[in-house]
Amino acid sequence: MRRLAGKRAVVTGGGSGIGRASAIRFAREGASVLVVGRAGNTEETAAGIRSEGETASALIVDAAIEENVAEIVRRCVSEFGGLEIFFANIGVTGTNTPLLEQTVDEWSEVYRINTISCFLAVKYAGRHMTAQGYGSIILTSSAASLRANAGAISYSASKAAVNNLAQTAANAFAGTGVRVNAVLPGLVETQLTRKVFEDARARGVEAKLGHVTPMKRPGRSEEIAAAAAFLASDDSSYVDGQLLSVDGGVSSTHPYGRIAL
Amino acid sequence: MNSRFRDRVCVVTGAARGIGLAIAERFGREGGRIACVDVSARRLEPAVEGLKSKGFEARAYGVDVGKRDDVHALFAQIESDFAAPVAVLVNNAVWARFEPLAQIEIETVERMFAVGVHGLIWTTQAAAPQMERRGGGSIVNLSSVSAFHPAKDSIAYSALKAGVVGLSRASAIELSAKKIRVNVIAPGMIGTPASIAQFDEATIATRQAEMPAGRFGEPEEIAALAAFLASDDASYIQGTVVTADGGWTIPAR
Repeated sequence: MRRLAGKRAVVTGGGSGIGRASAIRFAREGASVLVVGRAGNTEETAAGIRSEGETASALIVDAAIEENVAEIVRRCVSEFGGLEIFFANIGVTGTNTPLLEQTVDEWSEVYRINTISCFLAVKYAGRHMTAQGYGSIILTSSAASLRANAGAISYSASKAAVNNLAQTAANAFAGTGVRVNAVLPGLVETQLTRKVFEDARARGVEAKLGHVTPMKRPGRSEEIAAAAAFLASDDSSYVDGQLLSVDGGVSSTHPYGRIAL
Repeated sequence: MNSRFRDRVCVVTGAARGIGLAIAERFGREGGRIACVDVSARRLEPAVEGLKSKGFEARAYGVDVGKRDDVHALFAQIESDFAAPVAVLVNNAVWARFEPLAQIEIETVERMFAVGVHGLIWTTQAAAPQMERRGGGSIVNLSSVSAFHPAKDSIAYSALKAGVVGLSRASAIELSAKKIRVNVIAPGMIGTPASIAQFDEATIATRQAEMPAGRFGEPEEIAALAAFLASDDASYIQGTVVTADGGWTIPAR
């Protein structure tokens, strides 16, 4: 499928996990992709895409710092000639420190990386896209933004703010041709969740991962990437300000067997 | 075009026109084998002829989806005709009236729920065993923004469309074990002839101005979303409602 032929896309957090899978998917659908990340694996993602004969380059910066996000947009436009898709995907998990002992420092850093990064994406990608009258901005949220006990508390709250930003930004961009949506993954093995998976394997209970979802399994990064590609493409042209759950059903059900009445 | 539905038998109810026909056509463009269902086989004829003329495999089936035995017979017939079990089911058929409370008649409510809720239970009941036999499937049910943000005169309709959400999510729990996904589309204002005909020009202009998209949606835009949810691209999406309303229900106004 080449739904993104001729499009120029930024994917942040592109060195691994959902970001890497999305960068690859966008490129396979025809987009030129600027892969952004903080670590050297960002270049690996871009090199892998190029080895498939598609177009990508890497930019190693922190995408939660204002001047960096301005530079990301400039770089995509100067290198590829434009920007139609921005996938704001960087994130940190926060800690499971007991709530009563959590600190403002932790919350500030979690909000900076998870929430402020999305504001900056909306601001700088939004400036470019509203001026050209077309664009799709996708924000990574989480099932934890909707339900408790699906992530750290600071993480969950920061992602709920992302949901609201997707809606309020979509409304702020009314009439401009720019859409803003959020994708809400459930449990997926990525750099963020590796410890959960490694602990489960060490204890021999890997098969139980994802057991609270109706689908009884965790998701794969490629499954989130497919949803992001839908939101990036014109197949979602009338989908705006939406929170797209890709979580095996965990956020929309209470799958604990039949309730005895 | 790509071929996400190659060799897959896709059933679309309410396929004679509007959103249902657009969904059938999208499945056809992506390689699907289409079973078009409507209450009147005669009304389906132009739709199915049009699909065939584009080179798609399409068959017409007239059935009242509110009648359980007829629906089970229909799905047996579809499997026989296509020589393959059903892979995709889109429940799009609806019959509705919009009236103030005092005017709602028993017959209206019975007919609305027979088509729009009972019908979904019967088609799901009939399709699930076929999907299980082929190793899985995907069901997409059409709700409406009215399920969450009802407008005037939609007491029965909003109940109907909220019912679609509940039965879909509950079906998702039971059918996950059979590798069947069940998801919901909640369209906003879609510019089908039937929906446009309800309003005068001033009302249409007011509605459009309320929407971030600034326009009504096209049936093809709902079809693109239905194709996404029905395809393997949505393999981890289960029990979800996706609203496609151009942002209409986002602002408080």
